[in-house]
Amino acid sequence: MEHNAAGLYLPKTAKVQSVIEENSQIKTFALSLSMGAQPTVFRFQPGQFVMVSMPHCGEAPISIASSNSRTDSFDLSVRLAGRLTSAMHSLQPGDSVGIRGPFGRPFPLDKLVGTDLLFIAGGIGLAPLRSVILSCLADPRFSDNRITLLYGSRSPADIAFCTDLAAWEKSGRVDCHLTVDHGTPDWKGSVGLVTSLLDTVAPNPTRTKALVCGPGLMIRAVLAELTCLGFDPNDIITTLERHMKCGVGVCRHCHLDDKLVCRDGPVFTLAELQGHEVMELAT
Amino acid sequence: MERFNLLKKDHLIGFLRKLAKEYRIIAPVKNRHGDTLFTPVTDLDNDEIDLTNQPQNSIKSFLFPQTEVIATYQSSTPDDYTFTEPEPSFPPTIFFGVRPCDLSAILYMDVIFLKGKKDPFFLDKRRNSLLIGLNCTAPFANCFCNATNSGPFLEFGFDLQFTDLGDRFMVETGRSSGERLIEDRPQFFTPSTEKDSQARYQSFLEARGGFHRPVHLDQTLKKLAKGEVDESVWSFLSERCQDCGGCAYVCPTCTCFTISDQPLSPTNGERLRSWDACTFSGFTRMAGGHNPVHRATGAIRQRFLHKLLYDVKQHGRTSCVGCGRCVGICFGGTDIVRFINMSCQGELYGT
Repeated sequence: MEHNAAGLYLPKTAKVQSVIEENSQIKTFALSLSMGAQPTVFRFQPGQFVMVSMPHCGEAPISIASSNSRTDSFDLSVRLAGRLTSAMHSLQPGDSVGIRGPFGRPFPLDKLVGTDLLFIAGGIGLAPLRSVILSCLADPRFSDNRITLLYGSRSPADIAFCTDLAAWEKSGRVDCHLTVDHGTPDWKGSVGLVTSLLDTVAPNPTRTKALVCGPGLMIRAVLAELTCLGFDPNDIITTLERHMKCGVGVCRHCHLDDKLVCRDGPVFTLAELQGHEVMELAT
Repeated sequence: MERFNLLKKDHLIGFLRKLAKEYRIIAPVKNRHGDTLFTPVTDLDNDEIDLTNQPQNSIKSFLFPQTEVIATYQSSTPDDYTFTEPEPSFPPTIFFGVRPCDLSAILYMDVIFLKGKKDPFFLDKRRNSLLIGLNCTAPFANCFCNATNSGPFLEFGFDLQFTDLGDRFMVETGRSSGERLIEDRPQFFTPSTEKDSQARYQSFLEARGGFHRPVHLDQTLKKLAKGEVDESVWSFLSERCQDCGGCAYVCPTCTCFTISDQPLSPTNGERLRSWDACTFSGFTRMAGGHNPVHRATGAIRQRFLHKLLYDVKQHGRTSCVGCGRCVGICFGGTDIVRFINMSCQGELYGT
């Protein structure tokens, strides 16, 4: 038996560097692990998550939303959902949070090189995909990939990551298509489910990999639609949200049949999920 | 070659007294209410060590406590938030009189907590523990360790293992750490003879034939592997399950847990790890209230499939050790033996 087991459940302190209010429900926090005054290096892969602690609130899993090329700090985009995320929404620059991780199996970036990339996100589900998009844009291996983003929000006021969307559009590197469930008089864009955008972009299923994240119902509709379009289940990749406590594959709160989402996921291909009792696939 | 020693029953307390000079002894002790529980032995002259009845608890709670502090935190201002890991405090301990089922359960916990990322809290306790087993010569009413291949006699995993031969125990050595317990206290032991080995074997045969419940786990495992257990079994059991978590608490291998913060003051607190149960309706519920596991059938399905299918796939063994405690505690009649029997019968169950 080894003796170097300490620290598995011990969070490190991270400092809030900046706070961006994405919309009324979502804030993005840039965090740095602090060792004295100098930020320490934090390495992760897109799709991984950290366990975030807030005083007296326990921990919650939050996906990392920033590029893996940035190692002095990382972003967490957090939607108001419960006690811990409410506490996070009052964080100011300079405040501290606890961090464990990164944990989980990331998106298979190496397998995405040389393919068309189709990102399909709903609401806060853009957070983990933003990490992939930013990582790809910073990685010369992806300089020739065609990148398309379909992003659905409830209403124009709910559209998050506006700064990123504008920058991606402006750079010409990401073909962004937005839609909202409920339009407003001054909304000139598309209204309807994010699946309706698939007709517009008409992806080529033989040379495209689709990365999908959003609410369960959205994932279900998108996976079904992509399958109809002829996508191979190995080319459809999603990331699942579950209740988690340990983050390291022991406590079993995130069980999905014989898999544990924290250890075997959270990133799964549709092929890996087929045959399992998955809420996101239920008919 | 296997080493065998004999310890006269009259010498047991003397032997334990010597061990108690260096170790905390935890053994099945009958308390003043008549309950037999694994308990730290504090008074070898007066504590009644009970090797006849099945202890109501397993030794799980000593190595993986029901509630345990895994960190303390302090936060006096929003910019101050730090965590400290507690100092290890588990004294050198001998668990005495551990039955094969409960000892097998510890071997399973070794896999869960020490394979891969090592759990620092379990590791500290396990490293400071010695296991003295006690083979079962008379299975109890709800026992089925013969079906789970974890008894009635155990072949490995112990430091020492005792077999009751009437007026004496045959003592097997499983590890060098166990051998030292004997070598350092040779005055209590005599070498065993061929006759003792024969008596032990006879005792094993009688124990193997002494199970009261026929439990056809092998059939269930085959059916589970082929996906042949009827859906109606799950809905029947789910309807009967009262969500009390009793099965998980008495189970020597149930190791699901939750983590929560316990404030001690506005500026500091403890982070606790506590036993949890996959059958609880809130086990998988996310912030915001959404639950990805179907309450009606998903929770109890996870309990039995984890023990009898997923662990077989992943670790090559079931994580049911056949101790029968859940059979005794379940008032909804949805214990694992009920499940095994229902799945074997292949009937449809109306709800």
